[in-house]
Amino acid sequence: MVITNDVKLPEFAELEVQEVNLPTSILMAASSYIGKQCECVNNEFMLCRFESNDPRTCVDLGKKVTSCTLSLFQNIKKNCLEEFVQYANCIDKSSGDFSLSKCRNTQRIFDCCMQEKLDMERPDFGYFCRTRVHSSTSASPPPEPCPCKPKYPDATPSLPDDHPRTPARYGGRAYWFME
Amino acid sequence: MAEACQVARKQDLPPPGGYKPIPYKRLPAKQLFSGYTMFAGFLGITAVSSYLYYLTSKKITKQEIEMRSAKMAIYPMLLAERDREFLKQLRKNRDAEAELMRDVPGWEVGTYYGERVYKNLPPDTLVQPIFHEYYAHCNPTDWFQRAYIKLRS
Repeated sequence: MVITNDVKLPEFAELEVQEVNLPTSILMAASSYIGKQCECVNNEFMLCRFESNDPRTCVDLGKKVTSCTLSLFQNIKKNCLEEFVQYANCIDKSSGDFSLSKCRNTQRIFDCCMQEKLDMERPDFGYFCRTRVHSSTSASPPPEPCPCKPKYPDATPSLPDDHPRTPARYGGRAYWFME
Repeated sequence: MAEACQVARKQDLPPPGGYKPIPYKRLPAKQLFSGYTMFAGFLGITAVSSYLYYLTSKKITKQEIEMRSAKMAIYPMLLAERDREFLKQLRKNRDAEAELMRDVPGWEVGTYYGERVYKNLPPDTLVQPIFHEYYAHCNPTDWFQRAYIKLRS
């Protein structure tokens, strides 16, 4: 394998957290609220993950993401369990791909409960597909360590900037324009 | 033999009054629509069905956006979980390789007898291993289940 002894991997104990052991139907049912509740943490994690392109650097942020999701599910379980289970059950059994469009009635009941008990509003349609600006507190990644292409001493010099650039005589400079 | 030949024979002749005349005249089918009506009908049906197609495609696009939105909302959580599991598995793989190649003199884990695969990268870079390396030390059943997941789902 390509992982040598020089690569620092986190210990098993560092990676042990309580995971979200829930089926897809339940995750899809709560998806909007997860995304809205944990928006800041999620954005920070995804920023880190895609800037560094290295799972090791974002383990701590990932733990925060998971704990945020867990806390949301605990809240739902405490306050809106019955409505939520009804909605998730509908999503599970109404279609093959967990479509949300099949379960508007149960969704309305669940949304009302979330609004009343937890004061959380469902984000508007397609909220997570939109471009949203996230102002991060973390530092931007360091630039590339080296110019990895070597500079050749005998490279062809480019045309000087003050050289006159006349327009093409026959309408173009592609190779079949015989100029 | 000769007697048999003397039986009076009846010649096959046309019916009395002769045969009926052969109907050779063309009988065209009854024309329900004229050409112009058919063109107009085609255009009308096409227009109506295009409108219905437009309505349905709008509905499907909306559903797709909603599903994509929901999936993007839970993606960071799934990715965080996946990353932790991935890093655990990498450590397990490295330990398994060290255990497997313990008796081979000169073998260094992750290299070919000390020669690194990616020589230009800094030593601490995490290069994600390819599928076959990642699943090298696991049960073959798990390998097949993951490799042919498309056949199973």
